[in-house]
Amino acid sequence: MSIEIPKDKWPGAVQTVTLGATAEQGGTRTKVVTIGGEQTLPFMHFESETPNRPVIAMEMSSSRPGGWSQVLQDTWGDVLDDPAKWAQACEQAGAELIVLMFGLTDADDNPITPDFAVQTVKAVLEATGLPLVVLGPGQVDIDNAILVPIADATKGERLVLGLCEEGNYRTIVAAAMANDHLVLGRTPMDVNLAKQLNILMTDMGLPRDRIIMDPTTGALGYGIEYGYSVMERLRLAALQGDAMTQLPLMVNPGFESWKTKESKVGEGVPDAWGDWAERGVHWETVTAVSLIEAGADVVVLRHPDSLTRVKESIDELMAAEPV
Amino acid sequence: MALSGIQIYKMLPQTNCKECGFPTCLAFSMKLAAKQVELGDCPYVTDESKQQLAESSAPPIRLITLKGKDAEVAVGNEVVLFRHEKKFVNRPGVLIRVADTDEKETITAKVEAATAYIVDYVGLDLKLDGFAVEAASGDAATFTAAVDAVRKSSNLPLILVGNDPAVIEAGLTVLDGEKPLIMGANAENWEAMADLAKKAETALGVEAGTLEELAELTEKIQGKGVEDMVLHPTGQGMSSSLALQTQIRRLALKNFRPLGYPTIAFAGSGGNPAKEATLAAHSICKYAGFVVLDTFSPELVYSVLVLRENIFTDPQKPIQVLPAIYEINDPKPDDPVLVTTNFSITYFSVANEVEGSGLPAWLVVADAEGMSVLTAWAAGKFDAESIAKAVKQFGVGDKVSKKVIVLPGHVAVLSGELEEELPDWEIRVGPREAVDLPGYMKSALT
Amino acid sequence: MSRYIATRAIRGANALVSEAEAMLSQALKERGNNTSVSFPNTAYYLPVIFGMTGREIETLGQLEASLAHARKLLHPVPSDKQWTPYLGETLDSGMATLIAAETIEAIRYIYGLQPERMPGVELAGATAFTSPDADSAKEGASNGHLNGAIDDIQLRTWGIQLVDGRMPGFAAIVGCAKTNEAAVQIIRELQRRNILTFLCGNVNGRSIIDQLNEEGVELGYDTYTVPFGTDTLSAIYALGFATRSALTFGGMKGGQAREILDYNRDRVFAFVLALGEVDDLKYAAAAGAINFGFPVIADTVIPQILPTGITTYEHVVSMPWNEIDGGDDLEKAEKLVQKCIEVRGLKVQVSDVPVPVPYGSAFEGEVVRKADLRIEFGGRNSRCFEFLRMAKLDDITDGKVEVIGPDFSEVAEQGSMDMGIVIDVAGRQMESDFEPVLERQIHYFVNGASGIQHVGQRDITWIRLSAKAAEAGFDLEDFGKILHARFHSDFGAIVDKVAITIYTNPDQVGELLEEARETYDFRNKRLADLTDDAVDVFYSCTLCQSFAPNHVCVVSPERLGLCGAYNWLDCKASYNINPTGPNQPIKVGRVIDADRGYWEGTNDYAKAGSHGVVEELAMYSIMENPMTACGCFECIVMLIPEANGVMVVSREDTSITPAGMTFSTLAGMAGGGIQTPGVMGVGKFYLASPKFISADGGFPRVVWMSSVLKESMAAELQIVAEREGDAKLIDRIADERSVTSVEELLPWMEEHQHPALAMDPIF
Repeated sequence: MSIEIPKDKWPGAVQTVTLGATAEQGGTRTKVVTIGGEQTLPFMHFESETPNRPVIAMEMSSSRPGGWSQVLQDTWGDVLDDPAKWAQACEQAGAELIVLMFGLTDADDNPITPDFAVQTVKAVLEATGLPLVVLGPGQVDIDNAILVPIADATKGERLVLGLCEEGNYRTIVAAAMANDHLVLGRTPMDVNLAKQLNILMTDMGLPRDRIIMDPTTGALGYGIEYGYSVMERLRLAALQGDAMTQLPLMVNPGFESWKTKESKVGEGVPDAWGDWAERGVHWETVTAVSLIEAGADVVVLRHPDSLTRVKESIDELMAAEPV
Repeated sequence: MALSGIQIYKMLPQTNCKECGFPTCLAFSMKLAAKQVELGDCPYVTDESKQQLAESSAPPIRLITLKGKDAEVAVGNEVVLFRHEKKFVNRPGVLIRVADTDEKETITAKVEAATAYIVDYVGLDLKLDGFAVEAASGDAATFTAAVDAVRKSSNLPLILVGNDPAVIEAGLTVLDGEKPLIMGANAENWEAMADLAKKAETALGVEAGTLEELAELTEKIQGKGVEDMVLHPTGQGMSSSLALQTQIRRLALKNFRPLGYPTIAFAGSGGNPAKEATLAAHSICKYAGFVVLDTFSPELVYSVLVLRENIFTDPQKPIQVLPAIYEINDPKPDDPVLVTTNFSITYFSVANEVEGSGLPAWLVVADAEGMSVLTAWAAGKFDAESIAKAVKQFGVGDKVSKKVIVLPGHVAVLSGELEEELPDWEIRVGPREAVDLPGYMKSALT
Repeated sequence: MSRYIATRAIRGANALVSEAEAMLSQALKERGNNTSVSFPNTAYYLPVIFGMTGREIETLGQLEASLAHARKLLHPVPSDKQWTPYLGETLDSGMATLIAAETIEAIRYIYGLQPERMPGVELAGATAFTSPDADSAKEGASNGHLNGAIDDIQLRTWGIQLVDGRMPGFAAIVGCAKTNEAAVQIIRELQRRNILTFLCGNVNGRSIIDQLNEEGVELGYDTYTVPFGTDTLSAIYALGFATRSALTFGGMKGGQAREILDYNRDRVFAFVLALGEVDDLKYAAAAGAINFGFPVIADTVIPQILPTGITTYEHVVSMPWNEIDGGDDLEKAEKLVQKCIEVRGLKVQVSDVPVPVPYGSAFEGEVVRKADLRIEFGGRNSRCFEFLRMAKLDDITDGKVEVIGPDFSEVAEQGSMDMGIVIDVAGRQMESDFEPVLERQIHYFVNGASGIQHVGQRDITWIRLSAKAAEAGFDLEDFGKILHARFHSDFGAIVDKVAITIYTNPDQVGELLEEARETYDFRNKRLADLTDDAVDVFYSCTLCQSFAPNHVCVVSPERLGLCGAYNWLDCKASYNINPTGPNQPIKVGRVIDADRGYWEGTNDYAKAGSHGVVEELAMYSIMENPMTACGCFECIVMLIPEANGVMVVSREDTSITPAGMTFSTLAGMAGGGIQTPGVMGVGKFYLASPKFISADGGFPRVVWMSSVLKESMAAELQIVAEREGDAKLIDRIADERSVTSVEELLPWMEEHQHPALAMDPIF
C-alpha cells in the first residue's frame, strides 16, 4: 500500500536570531548561539530541515539566591557565592547560554547598584565565553537603572536584555538599540499580548532579529498546559505567516519547576511523591521536554542533571533520519 | 467538507426519541458534527442516511477500551492535532511493564506497589492504568505463571506482549471475562494473532516500522473480523517516533481508516528512569494512546501522571481545585483569611506566593466553576454571595478569632456587597496579583 | 505655505550658505585642508551633515562638498507675482541652512569660538572640552562659557529618556523673552513638565540666556536647561542632538535622511519656541526644524502655517505675548507652554490623584451606609447628573476645576443637595462619538476614592459621600481633580485637556440638566441611527482569545460584542486609545451578500483572526457561517427546528429549555470559537437590533425566550414588536414559565398565534 504522507508547507518561518558576538563581530564571546529559522513545527524533519537546535541555557544569579531548593544548593555548592565561578560551572555542565538574573539585593542584603550590576556582568563575561542573557530583578525602576549602564558597558556583545514587558520595554529596547544588544520580551501566557509587545518593540525600530519572546509558562502541574498551548499557537501563527509572532521562543522551566512544592520541599510530603532530588530533576526535565515539543527555542534550566537529560532528548529529536 | 449539525439533522428521524442519550435530534446532530458521538448511537437512522453520513459517522480514531478485573482504560476518540483546537479527549493509559523472566517475587512486589500507587493532585486521585506482561521467556508456562502472578496482585487491565500466538494464548487462559490488549501482530504472525484476538475478543496490537506496513496489516486484520486495534510504530529514537506518531494522527484525522486507531509507546530505556521520564513526556505530548514504563518509582510516575493530567485538560474547562479552606503555613486563629477562586492556576499562584513568604494564612477557595478571579467575576460566578457562602460552608468563622477577610484586588468592587453578606467581618481589599500578596500581608495585615 | 515665510526663509538660507562658504574658504586658507573638524566627544562626526548626507566629516577640506550640496538645495527667492505652495523650496532651504550652520559652528570650534565665552556663567553640568585657552581650562569645563554641542554621554542619558517617554520632549528656545520675568516663568513651566530645554539666539543682541543668567536661574545639564549659544546658529546643536537620537536609538545609519526625519517627527517630541522678533535667519532655521517635524511657536505676530503635513499638527503658530489671555507673566507663560505642548502633541502625564482621601481600585466597591453618610447627591431627595461633552482645544483650560454654587457645609448631616458635574474634554484625537464612552468611565473613576460611593450614570447618578471623607477634607472640587487626573492617565491618547465645572445651584442644575438630557436623547438617537450601512469600518475584538484562541468577535454598529460589554463605539474608542490592542478596525470592503452580511473585509478578517478556522462569516445569520463565540455570551440563540424558529436563553436562566438542555450545556456547544450553524452566543441587546438574524427572518423567529430577558429588556423589546408591526409580539413568545419542552412549545405557539408558524421554513 502506498500512503501519501501529509506534509505541511507553511508560508512563514521563524526569524533567525544570533546571541552573542565574537571579537570579529564586535564582542568578546568565544561562542555564539543561533536560534530560530524553523519552517515547520518542531522536528518535522520530513517536511523541512530544522536549521538550529533548541538551546539549553543555565540560570545563575548575581548573588546566592534566596529561596532556592536545597537540592539545587547542595548540587552547586559554593559556586553560588561567586557569579564568575558559577558561570564557569554552568559552562562545564554543558550550558550553551548563560542567563544571569539579578536579585534586588547583593550578598550583603544591600540594594543592588548600577555599578555592582556592571561589575557582575563584566565578571561573568570574563569567566565564560558563552553568550549571556541579563535579566533585571523585575522592578521597572531598578531594571532600568541597571540595564542601561550594563548595556552601555558591554556595547557590541549582543547580550539579551530583559525582561521587556508592556510597562517598561521602551527603556530596555532603547538601551539595546544604542549598544547592539538583543531583548527578551515577556508577556503573560497570551498570544495576542505577545504579539502586541512585539509590535510595540519593532515599532521603536528594533529589528526583528534582535528580539526573543518569552510567552511565560507554568511548571508541570502548575499550568504547563497554558504555556504549552500558547507556544504551539504562537508557532502555528508564525508558520502561517503572522510576522509579529515569528520570533524565537525562550522559556524558563527551571525557574518555574524549582519553585513548586514538589521541587522545593523534601519533608512532610506524601510518600507517593518519591525521592526528593530525583523528583526535582524529573519535574524540571519533564517540563522542559514538553515545552521543547511545543516549540521552545531556548529552555532555561537550573540543575545540571536536567541539562544532561534534556540535551540527550534534543540530540534524539534532532536526528533527522529518514522515515 | 464536514457536514454541519443542521445538515446531519435533516438526515435523522427527527423524532426526539432521546434513546441516543441526547434530548433532541438536533443536539445529537451537533455532537455528531463535532465527532463526539457515533452515528450508531441512533437506533433509528436509515441505511440511506448511514451511507450519506459515513464521513461523519465515527470518530476518526477508534475508541479502544481495555478491561481488567475491576477496572477499565479507554483511549482513542481523538479529534485534533493540537489540544487548543478543542481538547485531547482520552488520557493515554500509563502502564508498567514486567517480564516473565523476572523473579515472581519481583513481579509481585512491583505490581502490588504500582497497583496501590495513588497520588493526590489538586484533589484528583491519579493512578496507574495497568501492566504490560512481556513473554520474554518465550515459554508458555512461564508466561502463564507471570500473568497469573500479576493478576493475583492486581485487578487492573493488562497488555500481553509477545510474538508467539501460542504463548499469548496460554497467558490469556488466566484472564477470564477481561479484555486485554495482546501484541503484537507483525508481518509474520498477523494471521494467527488476528485469529487469536478474534477468538478471545481482545484488542490487538499491530507492529511495523513504516506507515505502509502498518496500514496493510490493519486492513488484513480487519478483514479477519478484528475491529479493536492499537498501532505500535516501531521507529527508533524520539525523532522517528515523533514523525510516525504525527503522521498517523494526521492521516487518521483525514479519515484514513487503516490508521484510525490509537497508538502505543514503550518508554522503557534499558533500566534508565531518567530517560524514561523524557520519553514518557514526549509520548504523552505527541499522540500516544498507551505509554508503557519499565520503572515503577513514585517520583517518576508522579511526574508522568501529572503531565498527562495537564496535557489532557480541556482547555475550556480548566483544572479545578476542591473548594475548601486551605491552611497555609499552619495558621493560627488570629491569622488572616484570604479568598480566591477554585481555578487551579489561580489557587496555585496564591498558595505558592503565600507559602513562599512563610506567612501563615487561611485560604478560602470559593467555587467559581474553575474560573480565574476576573473571569469568574465577569461571569457572575465569583460574587459576594458565593464568597459568603464559602465562608459559611467551610466554617471559617469558627476557625479564626480575627474576622478579617482579604479580597483579591480585581474584585474590589465586591467589598460593599460582601460587607452586607458578612456583617461580622471586616472586608479588606488585597492586591490584584498574587505576587504582591506577601508584601501586602507584611505591610497591611500585621 | 505662507509666501512671506517662504521668501524670508529662502533669503535667509541663501545668505547663510554664502556666509559659510566665505568662512570655509578663509579657514582653508588659514588652517589648511587637513585640519581636523569635530564637535567634542561625539562619534557621529558633524551629526546633522552625517545624518542627512552620510558624509563623515573629519577635516576642513571635506566640508567643501557638504556646502556644495547645501548650495544645490537653495532656490531663488519667490517673485512677487509667482504664487506657488513653496513648501518644497522652503524645506530645502531649511536643510541648506542646517548644513551651513553646522559648517560654521564646526569652523568656530577650530578657532576656539565655540563653545561661546560668557564670563561669569557657571554651568551645572556641561560638555567637557579641551579649551584652546589655558586659563579657562583651569576654571574647569563648566565655567566662563556656554555649552555648545551636547556630548554623546549626555545624549545617551537624555536620549533614552526621550525615547522611553520619561522625558516628554525638548524645547529649543530661540531669541529673548519680553521680560526677564517672562523668561523665568517660561523656563519654570517647561521644567515643571520635565521638558528638556535648549537655549539659543538673541534679539538685538540680548538673549534669553542673558535674562536667565541675570535672574540667577541655574543652567546646565543638571537642570535640564542647556544654553547653547547666544546666536541663532547654535540652534543647530538641538538638531544635531535630534539626529543623533535617531542614529543611536532608532537604529538608523548616516545618510538615511528620510528615516531620521520621520523618526524625529514620530518619536522625538520637540518644538521650537521663537521669542521676540523673527529675522530671515530664524525663518531659515525654523524651516530646517520643520524638516524634523518640529513645529515653531512664536510669541510675536508672524504669519501662521496651520495646515499639517510635515509636522504632526500645525507648522508655524503665532501666539503674541501681549495677546495671551492671562493676568501675569506666570499665567501667560503657562498658556504659551501649554500651546507648545498642544501643537507638538506632547502627552502630559498625571500620575497621582490629588485628593485628601486614599484613592485606588481597592475602594471601588465600597458602600457608604446611611449611618456613615455626610451628604448625598441624587437618589430620592435631590438631583444629580454627569455630562461629558467635547470642547475645542482653545476653549478650555486643562485642569481647571470650578465649583459654581454653594458647597455642602450648610447642608445638614446626612442631607442631600443637587449637583451637576459637567466635564469638558478636548483633544486632537477626540471625537464626539467618544463622549458617551468616556462619560461611562466617571462611575469607575469616582468610585476609586475612599468614602465615596457612585451609582448610576447620566441623570440617574447618585453619589454618596461619607462623613469620614468629608472630615478628611474631601470637597466638591475633589470630584473634578479625580476626573482630571484619571481622564489624562487612562485616556491620554485621545484626551489633551479636561476641565470640570460643578454646579450646585438648583436653578442652574435644572437648566443644565435640560441641556444634558437633550444631548442624552441626541446620543440615543445617534446610536439608533448608527447602522451597519452607515459605516465602512467594523471592529474586531480578540480580547477572549486567551481562552478561545480562534474566536473573533466582529462588532458592527448593529451587532455588539457577544459579551454585551463592547459596542461599536467602545471598540472604536479602544482602538484609538490602544492602536495595537484587541480592537482593530476591519474595513468591510466589497459587499458579497448584503442580506446575510458577507463582506470581503469581514471574511478576510474572520479567516485571519481565527487562524484559518473560520472561512466565511455571515453577520446576520444563525443558519450558515454564524459568528463563533468564546464563552462570555450573555445569551445563546438556538434553532428549534420543530418550531421553525429559534429560542433565546439568558445566562441568568438556569432552567431547562425547549432544546432539552440548560444554558450551561448549551454553552459547551456554542463556545470554543467553532462555527456551529444553529447555535450562536450573542449580547442581549443584539436581540433588539434590526439586524438580529435578519437573513433568517429576524426577530419574529424567536419562539421562546428566558423570562428574565423579557423583563429586563421590556422597553427595547416592545419597540422591536412595534417595528415588526405586532404590538403583542412579545406575548406570543413562550418562556420557561409556560414551556420547558419542545412538545409543549408547538401547542403554545398555535394557541398564541406565533408568527414563525406562518413563516417560510427556516431551512
